[in-house]
Amino acid sequence: MTRYKKQDPELTRRKFINVAMGTGAAVGTLSLVSALGIAKPVFRLTADKAPPLKGDVLVHADAAKYGQPVKPSELSELAVIAYPMGRNKDGSTVIRAGEPNNQVGVYKFEPSALQAPTKIDATDNGIVVYSNTCTHAGCFPKSVNNQFIVNCPCHSGQYEPRQGCKVIGGPPPKPMPQLGVKVEGEQLVLTSSFLTSPYGYKNDEEWEAYLKQAEELLA
Amino acid sequence: MNQWLDDRLHISRLNDKFLRKAFPVHHSFFLGEITLFSLIVLIITGILLALAYEPSNSMVVNSFDPGTAAKPNMLPAAYHSALKINAMPFGDMLRRTHHWMANIMIAAAVLHLMRVYFTGAFKKPREINWWIGMLLLIFAGLTAVTGYILPYDNYAYSTVKVIYAITASVPWVGDWLAQAAFAGRFPGDGIIPRIYGYHIMLLPGILLAMTAAHMLIMIKQKHTQPQYAKRLAYKKIVGVPLMTQQTPIMLMLALLFTGLVMLFAAFIPVHPVEFFGPPSSSGVSNIKPDWYLLWVFGALAIIPGFEVEILGGTISAEFIGAMVFPGIVIGLMFAVPMLDRSKDNQYYAENPTNSPVRLAAGVAFMAMMLVMSVAGYKPELIESRLLTTNNANAILWILTFVIPALSYFGTIGIVRGIRALREADERETLAHAHADD
Ligand code: FES
Repeated sequence: MTRYKKQDPELTRRKFINVAMGTGAAVGTLSLVSALGIAKPVFRLTADKAPPLKGDVLVHADAAKYGQPVKPSELSELAVIAYPMGRNKDGSTVIRAGEPNNQVGVYKFEPSALQAPTKIDATDNGIVVYSNTCTHAGCFPKSVNNQFIVNCPCHSGQYEPRQGCKVIGGPPPKPMPQLGVKVEGEQLVLTSSFLTSPYGYKNDEEWEAYLKQAEELLA
Repeated sequence: MNQWLDDRLHISRLNDKFLRKAFPVHHSFFLGEITLFSLIVLIITGILLALAYEPSNSMVVNSFDPGTAAKPNMLPAAYHSALKINAMPFGDMLRRTHHWMANIMIAAAVLHLMRVYFTGAFKKPREINWWIGMLLLIFAGLTAVTGYILPYDNYAYSTVKVIYAITASVPWVGDWLAQAAFAGRFPGDGIIPRIYGYHIMLLPGILLAMTAAHMLIMIKQKHTQPQYAKRLAYKKIVGVPLMTQQTPIMLMLALLFTGLVMLFAAFIPVHPVEFFGPPSSSGVSNIKPDWYLLWVFGALAIIPGFEVEILGGTISAEFIGAMVFPGIVIGLMFAVPMLDRSKDNQYYAENPTNSPVRLAAGVAFMAMMLVMSVAGYKPELIESRLLTTNNANAILWILTFVIPALSYFGTIGIVRGIRALREADERETLAHAHADD
């Protein structure tokens, strides 16, 4: 009876362990996936987290003057750091500081010093506004006295604010975007949001889609 | 009573199996122990800190300087509780002890890793423990990074912003990943509770479990024996037993070491939250990560900015510099035991000069990390006029490759020299021995 092979009707121990391990792994993976599903909370847009919008007033971001409107007389070629201030649903004013990338730098140059790619019709008498979030890794750059450049302290990215904030040194992949501005009495009022995609958005289409969504949500 | 306990708990078996574990007598074998002690002190100080910390980034009135009723002085609760911890008796020192211990734990772990690498202790059968050790190093780094964010001062805020950006830079899934990891779009309302969960539960749990595995495997496989053991008793375990000889040494080392770190904490300030202030619109200038992550930061600084779109995903310089490149480095370190194809088990720690290529590769690797860390200081190098904005990247790139190459060939040369001298010595003794006959 050399051909005899024992027919075991019961599950072998090895088989049982393998099946148990397989089931365990499957259940574990599934629960992990569902746990990861709850990890990302839903995004609720509130006015303080909305992007800069047309009609917003620029106010100081600096702790000393926080919330006071930026006056045209305070400006120079050194950036004044500001946040846009808009209105809540109930009509009260709200500073859009909940989204740190809303920070902007306000500059004033000789109107003739501004060159392309700066969008001249988005400026007012030499006053020009750019995002103040480095497009590389999102640090906050500072403008440097007498040199007409904006310098990012993180990896020494450099921008030229008289020429559309184009990159003139370091790793940033794209210029910091411009915003439209005009002087109304003693206040600076935005005539548009970021004209091109700001830090955090892959391209102009994605940014415009988000802007439209934000405008609808807040309307 | 001893008998009673032994009948139930089989302490004599525990004694034979674990408490008599032989420890090799050599100072370089203490590095792992120091790492372990640091972890224990970190957990104790961490628990104390957690008792007084408030894990929330909602705004509260600053109790030290409430401002006026019309214009209250608001601070994030986490930052406020860090100020309160500083105001406790020895509170500041507790924070500093925790901070210094973390730095020293990683330093000790890195030195321990170097010891294992250079003496060939990672070879068969200890590959698994090398891999667990690498995971421990990675998770220790993650724990440190999450710990940095908890005080939620301006420094922490800037740090987490950059970390968010790096997470979001992963092509295709980056946005989802960053929002899942940091509880929503930066700076989400739940970012501090989320990071707190990571830092006090998830990551320490992982660290403890893996440390336990690391040590159980070590006890099972035994330490590699130092060279003198070969001469004393070939293929036998030589060393002092854990109970009762090694224990007093360990205790003394732990106390001495902890005392030293406390002294550090008492006199050397670190991460002054008051100085950085609460999160603000003006970033911290010259922000730098800790020394053990400086190489990643340096890589980010010298990789020029670019963005390529592939199938709707964006591959950016950040992704390459902060994810792909460190991934390659860590992958190389993981692969170290696989480069060795010896069939036999490794009993004895090797003299590093016996394998010049391994030694030189290790030295070159460290040199490269060092150069990249220096590249992290690019803004300072430019400011001090050693480099200019235009040539900085080129020069740093060249150094990144030239210095490791030089150290590689330099090390091999030195080892050859040492060998030649040693052989000459041997020949001479041999010659003299013959002359004596
Ligand atoms: S974040 Fe500005 S240069 Fe890197």
